[in-house]
Amino acid sequence: MIPSPLKPQWFQILLALAAQPLHGYAIQRAVLAQTDDQMRLWPAMLYRSLGTLEDEGLIETVPTPAEEPTDERRLYYALTDAGRDRLRQETELLARWVRAAEAELL
Amino acid sequence: MSRRSARWVYRTLLRLFPPSFLAKRGSEMERMFSELRETWQVERSGTVLGFWLRVVVDVLRGSMAEWLSLVSARTESATAVARSEPMSDFLADVRYAWRQVVRRPLYAGLIFLLMSVGIAGNTAMFRIFDGLFLRPLPFTDADLLMDLDETAPAWELEYVGVAYPDFVEWRRSNRTFASMAVYSESGANFGGEGPSERITVVQSSHDLAQVLGIEPVLGRFYTAEEDVPDGPDVALLTEGFWAERFAREPEVLGRSISLNGRAFEIVGVLPPEARFVSEAQVWVPLQENPEQGSGWYLTGLGRLTPEATIEQALADLTSVHRGMIETRSVNETTSPVISPLRDRYLGEFRLGSGLLLAAVGIVLLIACANIAGLMLARSLTRAPEMSVRRALGAPRSRLVRQLLTESALLALLGAAAGSGLGMWGSGALVVAMRDRFPAWVTFDLDLRFLGFILGLTAGATLVFGLTPALRSARDTALATGGRATASIARRRGLGLLVAGEVALALVLLVVGGLSALDVWRLGRVDPGFQVEGTTGFALALPAARYPDADARLAFQDTYLEKLRATPGVESATLATILPLSGHMGYFFVVEGDPPPAEGEPNPVVLNRAVSPGYFQTMGVQLLAGRVFDDFDGRDDGDDVIIVNETFARTRLGGAESALGRRVAVGTGMPDSDEAWITVIGVTRDVRHYGVDEPMRPGVYQPLRQLPRATFQVALRFAGSDADAVSTARRVTSELDPELPLYSVRTMSEAMDRSLWTRRATSWLIGTFSAVALLLAVAGLYGVISYSVGQRSREISVRMAVGAQHGQVMAQVVRQGMTLVAAGAGVGVLASMAVGGLVAGILVDVSPREPVVYLGVIGVLFGVAALANYLPARRAARLDPTVALREE
Repeated sequence: MIPSPLKPQWFQILLALAAQPLHGYAIQRAVLAQTDDQMRLWPAMLYRSLGTLEDEGLIETVPTPAEEPTDERRLYYALTDAGRDRLRQETELLARWVRAAEAELL
Repeated sequence: MSRRSARWVYRTLLRLFPPSFLAKRGSEMERMFSELRETWQVERSGTVLGFWLRVVVDVLRGSMAEWLSLVSARTESATAVARSEPMSDFLADVRYAWRQVVRRPLYAGLIFLLMSVGIAGNTAMFRIFDGLFLRPLPFTDADLLMDLDETAPAWELEYVGVAYPDFVEWRRSNRTFASMAVYSESGANFGGEGPSERITVVQSSHDLAQVLGIEPVLGRFYTAEEDVPDGPDVALLTEGFWAERFAREPEVLGRSISLNGRAFEIVGVLPPEARFVSEAQVWVPLQENPEQGSGWYLTGLGRLTPEATIEQALADLTSVHRGMIETRSVNETTSPVISPLRDRYLGEFRLGSGLLLAAVGIVLLIACANIAGLMLARSLTRAPEMSVRRALGAPRSRLVRQLLTESALLALLGAAAGSGLGMWGSGALVVAMRDRFPAWVTFDLDLRFLGFILGLTAGATLVFGLTPALRSARDTALATGGRATASIARRRGLGLLVAGEVALALVLLVVGGLSALDVWRLGRVDPGFQVEGTTGFALALPAARYPDADARLAFQDTYLEKLRATPGVESATLATILPLSGHMGYFFVVEGDPPPAEGEPNPVVLNRAVSPGYFQTMGVQLLAGRVFDDFDGRDDGDDVIIVNETFARTRLGGAESALGRRVAVGTGMPDSDEAWITVIGVTRDVRHYGVDEPMRPGVYQPLRQLPRATFQVALRFAGSDADAVSTARRVTSELDPELPLYSVRTMSEAMDRSLWTRRATSWLIGTFSAVALLLAVAGLYGVISYSVGQRSREISVRMAVGAQHGQVMAQVVRQGMTLVAAGAGVGVLASMAVGGLVAGILVDVSPREPVVYLGVIGVLFGVAALANYLPARRAARLDPTVALREE
């Protein structure tokens, strides 16, 4: 069990996979987009993170979705149910912290 | 950098990861890397260097973390430990490591030094190797380009060149080549205004540009219609010549240039890549006639179809070649050969440069072993600190990581200095090598190079850093602060390291010794001609002004007479080919010999035409008979010939029985009508192809008998070489102001040049093996000193109970020499095992030459004994009371 809070890059990866299964490069693009270009994941960092998340059962590899135009086979990653639950918990945790911080500052 | 080579670099970097990780994710990471790189380029997110820096840092950090998690998974219990933020940990480690470095400058300095020495050699040698063998050739799909040639084992020639009729048929009937072309290189007197200049001209079939995949930068290439016998005189300029002589004017098209007195129309300018084919200044169409057996003088170049393999192509060409036998019987003797371009031109350097790369690899390995030894020894003194930190709850992985950070920091610093040093050193080497390789070989730095250095440093860090780090973290629980005695296991570990170093150093020393002995012997080989004080150069009489044999003979006679009458000239002579400057092969038949049986070897004979006085000037020794006089070769006399020792022995039954026999040029086919020439003398063999090459049968004929337009001049001059050349220039221009001297060199230069590669290789291997020896012995010294230090209490006790100085010293020395002997034993076996490999760079020395082995072992034991003696003496001088009181 990975302790909370999740590392930022793990959180972002889970978030990127919330909508649909993606392959490694697409995850990198998604994370870049959802963090306003702040978080650029390089291959070693990304694939080590994917490895950890997979070991923890938060994500799993799935076959290439049929609608993808590519004829190459590559690994796609998808959220597991446990992963989705965990993402929800983490988001709530972060939200709580943000609320607490806002109450303090405003 | 191309997409493929970038990916290659990345793949190499990824090797830093544990194999298990790589097997699972390696290919995905590679693909993602390619995509990232493309996006980076398209979006211009930053510089190329920035991209690579991030990629390299990512891989280094990721791989180190992955190794550590593997390690800690093995050594730590399953209890989960909360992990702190890796980045701040990392910085803390670096800060801590830096403090350690500063606190222990000697220790850190030693590691720094070892690392720089190891990396410097590798940097230098990789730069050479990269330039020669890894850098892609500047053509599209260069892998498909093949050198085409013909071989004739029966003539004892590995490559004879391509004959035009063969080429025409190959090109017409093959099914494995997309395109195919031939060319030859020759010299021409380039005239314009002013004195003419000797330039190099490529004569090529019209498809050469197509095979290479190059387009003229200006104008057009010549067409198939122009590449026919007696076709139009058209020419292309190479880019360099266009820039140098025509200031890159586009208006050169349509202008004409004069080559050997003939006017050629410029139709185009070649791109810079054309220099791959030749350094020539001008290209003209070959315009050869396929109906004539034109001799084997062409170089072939083919582009395979993407589907074809070399084996298929060879089978294809061979069957075409054999199919011609009916109309061209000589094709029974010759057969086509195909080799990748790089192999053909640089193949001879592959072994030498590979060996050098292996040698510096060994030096680095020894340096790493020394560093590992230093770290092992040091980890003992740090045991108390480690146990305290462990007791305070630092996870083992954290300690390992911190120790690794320290190694990595030192390694990086050392590597940076080392690669700088290596670049500087290789710079000199590169300058010296420039004109020894084809012009397309460059030694610029590239990203492959950066990847190599980074990968090597990271690899070295893991090699010498991980073992001591793991060991140290594991041992701490046992060590109790205060006085610790090195465990037997650790001392054994150090001993193994040293024995390994000795073994590696011995292998290098043997290779270095063999190669040095070889070069030394080659330097003492008598080449059979006078090297010192002889200057040579070449002249070519243009057909426009010297149309026939009489004109050429007249010039040659006057020229020689004038030269000999010039003050300072001790003697002068003419020859079609001087030693060390080329080959002209003929076949000879001997009168009375039966025609050669099918498949019987018929070695090609080196044919030279020389003026009277040649043998005196060149110092070639006469074994029997007489040399040429002024009357030989005149129209009213018999044709005469002088043969060399090898020819006399192999074809005429020895020097004495050779005299008076008659030989003729020809292959001895039954219906031929030979023009017989009488043997009047036998000379000693001259090492015509270099002292490292065997001599073949050779003959001399009077120049008068074979009046050539192109010939060489040998001059013995009382004065400097420069004066000899300027005198020759003056005499030549007095006779014909438009005649350029070319291929000017002294015989000593030619000789040095023929041995340069061997000498340089030998020097480098010798240097590396000396460094290896030094490092190994330093390691030995370190370990023995350390061991004496560790055992001072034991030694003191023994001395207190009556052991003599001599006994103590003997014991210490014995301990050290046992390690050396063990290492030397392994090293000798290993040297014997690699002997076969090394044999390829040796000419005159067997790879098992006992002298070298004995010498190397002697040196090794001598130096090692000294390294043992110093700590032994220290041990014997221990004052028992002091050591015991320290307890």
